[in-house]
Amino acid sequence: MSIGHALLGLLEGGPRHGYDLKRAYDERFGHDRPLHYGQVYSTLSRLLKNGFVSEAGVEAGDGPERKRYAITDAGVTDVERWLGTPEKPEPYLQNTLYAKVVLALLSGRSATEVLDTQRSAHLGTMRDLTRRKTDGDLADQLICDFALFHLEADLRWLELTAARLDKLAEEVAR
Amino acid sequence: MTLLTAEGLYKSFGKTNALDGAGISIREGEVVAIMGPSGSGKSTLLHCLAGILPPDSGTVTYRDRELTTMNDGARSELRRTEFGFVFQFGQLVPELTCLENVALPLRLSGMKRRDAERASKEWMARLEVDTVADQRPGETSGGQGQRVAVARALVTSPKVVFADEPTGALDSLNGERVMHLLTTAARETGAAVVLVTHEPRVAAYSDREVVVRDGRSRDVEFVR
Amino acid sequence: MNRVLSDLALGVRLAVGGSRKSWVRLALQGAGIGMCVAVLLLAASIPTAFGNRDQRGDARNVVEEGNGAAPLLLENGSVAYRTDFVSGAYVRAVVADAPKPPGVERLPGDNEIIVSPRLADLLASPEGELLRPRFPQKVIGTFAPEGMDGPQDLRFLAGDSKIQRNDGNQVYAFGQQYAGGGLPTILLMLSIVGAVVLLFPVLVFVSVATRLAAAQRDRRLAALRLVGAGAARVRLIASGEALAGAVVGLVVGFGLLFAIRPLADDIPLPEVAVFPSDLTPTLPLTLVVVLSVPVLAVLTSVFAMRRTIVEPLGVVREQKPVKRRLWWRVIPALGGAALLASQFGKFGGQAKPEEWPIIAGVVLLMFAVPALLPWLVERAVHRISGATPALQLAVRRLQLDAGTAARVVGGVAVVLAGTVTLQVILAGVENDVKAEDTREATRTSLSISVNEATPLPDLPDVLARTPGVVGVQSLLRTWATTPDDGHTTIAIGTCTALKTVVDLEDCADGKTYLVPTGNGLGDPEAGDVVKFEETGATWTVPAFERRTGTRLGLFVTPAAAANLDLTHTTAEIQAEMDMTRPDVAEHVRNALAPYSWRVYTVFFGQQNSSEIEQVFLAVRRALHGAALITLLLAGASLLVVGLEQVRERRRPLAAMAASGVPRGTLARSLVWQNGIPLVISTVVSVGTGVLLGVLVTRAFDAEVHYDWAGIGFVTGISVGMVVLVTALTLPSLRRATGALGLRTE
Repeated sequence: MSIGHALLGLLEGGPRHGYDLKRAYDERFGHDRPLHYGQVYSTLSRLLKNGFVSEAGVEAGDGPERKRYAITDAGVTDVERWLGTPEKPEPYLQNTLYAKVVLALLSGRSATEVLDTQRSAHLGTMRDLTRRKTDGDLADQLICDFALFHLEADLRWLELTAARLDKLAEEVAR
Repeated sequence: MTLLTAEGLYKSFGKTNALDGAGISIREGEVVAIMGPSGSGKSTLLHCLAGILPPDSGTVTYRDRELTTMNDGARSELRRTEFGFVFQFGQLVPELTCLENVALPLRLSGMKRRDAERASKEWMARLEVDTVADQRPGETSGGQGQRVAVARALVTSPKVVFADEPTGALDSLNGERVMHLLTTAARETGAAVVLVTHEPRVAAYSDREVVVRDGRSRDVEFVR
Repeated sequence: MNRVLSDLALGVRLAVGGSRKSWVRLALQGAGIGMCVAVLLLAASIPTAFGNRDQRGDARNVVEEGNGAAPLLLENGSVAYRTDFVSGAYVRAVVADAPKPPGVERLPGDNEIIVSPRLADLLASPEGELLRPRFPQKVIGTFAPEGMDGPQDLRFLAGDSKIQRNDGNQVYAFGQQYAGGGLPTILLMLSIVGAVVLLFPVLVFVSVATRLAAAQRDRRLAALRLVGAGAARVRLIASGEALAGAVVGLVVGFGLLFAIRPLADDIPLPEVAVFPSDLTPTLPLTLVVVLSVPVLAVLTSVFAMRRTIVEPLGVVREQKPVKRRLWWRVIPALGGAALLASQFGKFGGQAKPEEWPIIAGVVLLMFAVPALLPWLVERAVHRISGATPALQLAVRRLQLDAGTAARVVGGVAVVLAGTVTLQVILAGVENDVKAEDTREATRTSLSISVNEATPLPDLPDVLARTPGVVGVQSLLRTWATTPDDGHTTIAIGTCTALKTVVDLEDCADGKTYLVPTGNGLGDPEAGDVVKFEETGATWTVPAFERRTGTRLGLFVTPAAAANLDLTHTTAEIQAEMDMTRPDVAEHVRNALAPYSWRVYTVFFGQQNSSEIEQVFLAVRRALHGAALITLLLAGASLLVVGLEQVRERRRPLAAMAASGVPRGTLARSLVWQNGIPLVISTVVSVGTGVLLGVLVTRAFDAEVHYDWAGIGFVTGISVGMVVLVTALTLPSLRRATGALGLRTE
């Protein structure tokens, strides 16, 4: 899962402090694994270096200095590219996919498209596996079947999510 | 080359819109999976494509022939000669033996009984069901029955095989076997396969998929 | 006991079990069984109907003996009007409280008349115009039902003060009972055989209706059996289902009976029409119906479940059934034939042997049809391989389940066999009963008999002056007993007079002629000494020649009648008429109207059948009517079964249509599927019918005649019925083969 893209996605809603970003991230995606401050600041400085974000002023006040960050045009393009690219079909990627769907919904992009793109990629891999299976021996078949069943589970999740997008959109907007 | 094209299909049953502007395009020899949740209109799309069901509006074209303007008899003949069908269950005539079931479409096209049954035997062997040739469908296992149905669908060397949830009533292993034999045989004879399924592993036997949602299809490669 | 009841209840629940399908099935069963019950109840009403009719007839019979002078004088005055017959009498009350016949409030006085409602209608209608002159009296009322045979009776009672007392017209009371009477043995047996032959199919339909949707139910019960229900329990559950249908059928049947009862007096056949109140089933027969229908339903359903019980798995998986065995199926046929054969000739004479062997024989042979058909169909289709796909589909279907198809057409087959039987019997009996009357329709003379007590010497002159009469001939008639206790009529007249009733080409005075009876019974032989009962005088029959004619008996020219005792003769006058005048006979009768009861006229040109033939005709009509009703019932059941079959096979039919099997092929396979059993059953039932007819006819010692035209007609109707029913199932086939049939339910 790419924290950088997630932070960029969150910044699309408007400039934020590092601390704000961490809170927003934890709230949406970090259920069991909250980000460390260090992770946030190192990621932000990498994004700053690549030109995807810019500093939008410092807020004075008590406590630590509070820099505000804003997304640049290059950053928006990067987010777009990321959402449009399917994840490499592999087990346990629901975190990323979920983040993508939520960010698509948040930014008013088509979440259905995200899901369909992913479905295509999954099916493509499943096709390769199926082909390998038909040509291979029993050991190949068993190994391929293992992957196939896992990918199928992902795909079923994609279906289910697609069917519930409207509801999810409501909740995200809240 | 494009074999079968549907554009702007609308079909409603009473108040429900089963198809709401669906479109699809099938090329010669390719295996296309039509996917989507239950009630999305997958089967209706297949029925319209195959000329079983006339759509309320829209066109279905098979090799420059407009299916939607053909009369029932002509569509019947087209289905008999150019298409093959595999349904989820209950398609084999329970009274006929498996061999007779496979030979039925050939005999309907006027082939002599002996020739028809010889050709059917070959197909049954290819689908590994020649052992049940003389049994009635009720006496075979579900997987055997579906493979007999596949043999019957392929025996006329159709240009398109329509398969509506062909593995819906089977377990994974039998389902995969049916799919493997169906797609292999279809590829060997150059028949296109239109496969309606909601199972990703079954759809994985296809070359590409078309998703139907709320009566609208998203044919990724639909170009026109 | 509790277990038994709860199993039965489970069956009932499965029968009515809420889902739309089971309600439809129950409704179909109720309708099918209901129609059968209605027909059975109608049949059960026949004894009441005819019993009441006989009772009313008896109540009208005059008592001719009593003390002193009779209080009432009555002369029979029945008249013929075209082809109708108006019965009635003229009366004169001698005392104030003279006895009156049933159904009238008071006796009519001079020039008064009481008529039946139907006669009143006829007199008022244009068709009755030529009858009116004969009834100039003042109508003072109509008969109440108890004064009539039936609602269509043409009857009158008129007052005439000119009646003079004589030996034959004295009435002391009404209600004389006569022993015997009723139908002649042969007609009685014909009616019984007819009833058996026609009611048997009704019972067959009860079982057909019970087995509606049998395949589906078999699978359900087989499933019950597979989950561990014992054979006895499954039988009980099935019985519960059958019972539910039978009970609904009984209710529907009684409802139908009450619905059609009011129509009974509109039946246009006077011999058959009955008062609605007469159409009440007798209690014992009602009980028989109420008990036998459910029992039959349960027995058929349990019997038909043998296979489900023995091999439930095979039923569920639609395996090829076990081969049917022949041996028990031929027992009824052989037994029935043997029983009937043992009765050959026993009913020939006047003797009245036991009836049960005939009835049992007929029932057994009728049962042979449904017993043999499934086996025959199975054997027959076993050989056919199926030249076309349609034929192959049908044949394979029949091979898998010959029973249903055989049952479907079996019902029609039984009716067909029964009707053919009746036709063979009728043809034989008719030939026997019928006098040689083929030329009667060409007769041109009105025959007038004069009441013995009132000679009318001026009658020939009156007739001669009547327009339309071209010649008047007189005959004398008398009766004599032959040595073997037969009766013969003897008519004396000149050659010209005799020619009006006998077909004579060369006639010479001194010759004697005989018009023989159809079966030769009671005909005198030359040299016989016949005796005149009234006077005790005797006469030796001279040599005679045989001729045909309108009247039976001896016809003697005056020279040959020299030794005849002519003291007790009646005059019979033949008025030859100009047949170019329309309705000339009715005009001549009207000219004779003033003589009312003093003359009795018969016009052979119109009324061309003797009394027994009329009864015969009525029986024949009734049987044909009943056969038609039964055939309609058969058709209705067939249709129900046919629709049911299409519904059961909806999915494969839809899948076939989807994969491009032309509907024509499917329709043709349906036609074959009914047609093959139809052809077999037609052959079997015509065969059985003819055999049965021949056996019964032989039992009556009558000559066997075949009514091929009639047999062909009925066969045609049955074939047409099956074709029609198949055609009527096609729309449902069309629906089933639509794409909607593919959708899972």
